Amino acid sequence: MNAVDFWVRSWTSGDLPAARKLLTPGVEAEWNLDAPVDDEELLQVMSRIAAFADRIEVIARTDSVDGSAIVYDLTAPFGTARLVEFLDVEDGTINEVRHVYDVTAVDRFFPGLYDN
Amino acid sequence: MQREVHLIGGTRSEAIRLAPVALAMRDAGLLQPIMLAAGQHTTTVTRTLAAFGLVPDITVAAAAERTAGSPDDTLPGLIQELDELWSVRTPAAVIVQGDTTVSLAGALAAFWRRVPVVHLEAGVRSDDLGSSSPQEANRRLLAQMATLHLAPTPLAAMNLLDEQIAHTDVLVTGTTVVDATLAVTSRRMPFQNAAVAAARQDSTNRLVLVTAYGSGSGNDPLGHIPAAVRELVGRHPDVEVVLATRPDQAAQTAAEGTLAGVPRVTVTGPLSYPDLSRLLCEAYLVLTDSDGIAEEATAFGVPTLVPRDGGEPALSLTAERVKTIGSDTEGIVAEASALLDSRFRRDAMAAGNTPYGDGLAARRTAQAAAALLGLAPAPDAMPVSVNVLSSGAHA
Repeated sequence: MNAVDFWVRSWTSGDLPAARKLLTPGVEAEWNLDAPVDDEELLQVMSRIAAFADRIEVIARTDSVDGSAIVYDLTAPFGTARLVEFLDVEDGTINEVRHVYDVTAVDRFFPGLYDN
Repeated sequence: MQREVHLIGGTRSEAIRLAPVALAMRDAGLLQPIMLAAGQHTTTVTRTLAAFGLVPDITVAAAAERTAGSPDDTLPGLIQELDELWSVRTPAAVIVQGDTTVSLAGALAAFWRRVPVVHLEAGVRSDDLGSSSPQEANRRLLAQMATLHLAPTPLAAMNLLDEQIAHTDVLVTGTTVVDATLAVTSRRMPFQNAAVAAARQDSTNRLVLVTAYGSGSGNDPLGHIPAAVRELVGRHPDVEVVLATRPDQAAQTAAEGTLAGVPRVTVTGPLSYPDLSRLLCEAYLVLTDSDGIAEEATAFGVPTLVPRDGGEPALSLTAERVKTIGSDTEGIVAEASALLDSRFRRDAMAAGNTPYGDGLAARRTAQAAAALLGLAPAPDAMPVSVNVLSSGAHA
């Protein structure tokens, strides 16, 4: 199982320690949510998604030589929000994570997701 | 050497909207437009571009053709092929249009490589957050990845602002459909469809163009449209109808079954873009179940009736030239007859406002893309009240 497979399985099942192990120290994290982000904040939000969602489904994945682009459907009790994740991978660890959320759907179906 | 901007089209509709932008970029001479035909309908894209004297510079079809299935099934392959292309031939910007899987794939692949994304027809929303339609989710995701959002109407721009998109990244350009229509009709090409050519040759009758691509279902694939056409032709001896249907046998059979032997009616399959544009140019009245054709008709100032039970055409809320009517036979006949019986009523509707554009959207788009890359000043937005005939756009 490669790093991306392991990452997807870890965070979608809420296994935060396992997901954290895949990130290089100083990993670059970006997202389009209206809040600052670092790797710890990113993992906390992903953990909340995993806990709140009824189902997390990978609906498309594209691999390149140095990373992957993954589209997820995050199904909550009242609706579904889409997340696109871009990963840069080097030597079996992830050195960049970029998240693009369907913000309108996230705000509606995952309220308070990125509140501190 | 000019920097390349890649324009990605995967459908006929996208090709129509992107072609004028490529032409405007070429005219401006600041950027080199590269047309990409992508996805499962590259032949259609190629045929549509030909109406503008364009050919695809690059075709990205292999992955999509291998993966016949839902739109989400084709997405990974498209992203992969675009990523591989852009890893060796990185454009300065990518232009995508609308809300299809091809547009989403283009935006995702460009965003992945940190190439700026320009989104045409940005901000169009159904406002149905729970919709199972992938297009609505695609629209919202595209808005999150685009660097520049070119909205067809002020309403679309407001939708983007409501989603917290920065107002400095939004420009109301109008829709390039109007530009496309003007560009194609200015070429004044003969009809490609022999039956239509024969019907229109030396005709002095008033033309009612009817398109029925999505109406009805099951045993009634065209709804009440054929019956309404028969009634209209019977009532108005100076009216002739061109009825374009879906290409499937059920639709053809339904139309021909109802209209067999009815004079002044030509039934045909889907029209080529040049034929459609010319017919729109010549039409007295349009009856269509297609939002796209309703948009195109407004460019010619042709009153357009959209038979539909529930829902509004996508952008027609403020289009005085477009009216949504009931889809029953009596309702269609009554509304169409009101316009056929009264020249004043028809012309009053034709003189109404259109929110769709003034025929200069492609120029604004080309300049906005150049401005994004520091090559030109930002263009002004489309004026709120527009008139194709006085905008300076030429047919």
